[in-house]
Amino acid sequence: MFEQILLTLPFGDIVHYLSGYTVVLFAFAAMFVILAVISLPEKPVDIVFGTDGYYTKEIPVDLMKFQRFMAIACGIATIGAITTGDVFNFTLFAAFIGILNIGIVAAVKNKHVLDAAFSYGLVVMMATVPLFAGAAIIAATCGTLSIWELAGTGPAPLVARLLILVGVLGEGMAPFYIGKAEITRAPGAPYILMIHVSSLLLFLRVVEILLTV
Amino acid sequence: MTKIQRIADYLADTDNLPKVYAAVVCIIAVIGLCTVPFLTYHDDQLYPKSLNPDSSLNPYDRGGVPFTEPAQIVAQYPENSPAIGYVTAYLTPASWFLANTTLYLGTTIVGHPGGILDEILYYTRGLDTIVEASIFFAAFAVASFLYRRSRQ
Repeated sequence: MFEQILLTLPFGDIVHYLSGYTVVLFAFAAMFVILAVISLPEKPVDIVFGTDGYYTKEIPVDLMKFQRFMAIACGIATIGAITTGDVFNFTLFAAFIGILNIGIVAAVKNKHVLDAAFSYGLVVMMATVPLFAGAAIIAATCGTLSIWELAGTGPAPLVARLLILVGVLGEGMAPFYIGKAEITRAPGAPYILMIHVSSLLLFLRVVEILLTV
Repeated sequence: MTKIQRIADYLADTDNLPKVYAAVVCIIAVIGLCTVPFLTYHDDQLYPKSLNPDSSLNPYDRGGVPFTEPAQIVAQYPENSPAIGYVTAYLTPASWFLANTTLYLGTTIVGHPGGILDEILYYTRGLDTIVEASIFFAAFAVASFLYRRSRQ
């Protein structure tokens, strides 16, 4: 998988890289960051059933700015998680994405959204435990955290990979679509979409890492 | 209701999400604890820690003279860190005083300004430190936005 490395960006021991696989994910994430930068939020229209009446939901400017900031930060954190070449750095970016996902919907005044976001917040906090435990076990049993080095040292323990997988599931909310369905009822479409995009890309990236280490 | 309907009904409630996730984490933690005897500690660690209780910089005593003679620090990719080892031994006057009077300066690495500038934290793995701080900043940004709006 590492023959086709297109670009490396070293930060000391943490070397970010783009391979043929992650460059696709990178392009996808970058596209959504640009979309969040340039677009205004949607204004959902609700039709009153049985009449000609309808009403639009206005999004206050300060909320819009806050959501946009969180969405852009989330996109950048996703790019970090996609390009990083270090297991511990990846877990940090995953935890970062979890916090920012909550931040995107934290200020929405809607009881159902906030209830779901609160449950998701509990999951995110719990997910940091298996996430960092997995990275710690990899460091202890393999002696290094660099994905390049780990690719050459033979497979990491199954339990470490399992812990990282469960941690990413919690941070990215990947299998918990019931929670996500409630959260994405919040208005503000291009910013809310970043929750989906980040968790999807995080999941695609962790699959590559778990197959490599 | 059939059994699968009951499971789906339980999973459909958002409030049950943390419980389900906690149960999954617990199951994997128990499996993990059962496999601990099969895990072998890798002796050749990239970031070794040498304990020397007689040194006041314990466990961060890596030797070297600031800016002239580099300390012994192992890096995964030394070519990416050309200036490694030149700063770790530097102590500010306050740290110098603490190091000469107590044996516990190494335990206060983040407890006072100008502590030991650990180059693994701040140089070879500096991006980790930046991302950690960014997580805090994001959490504070959310909290401060909600706090300020609740006061309006």
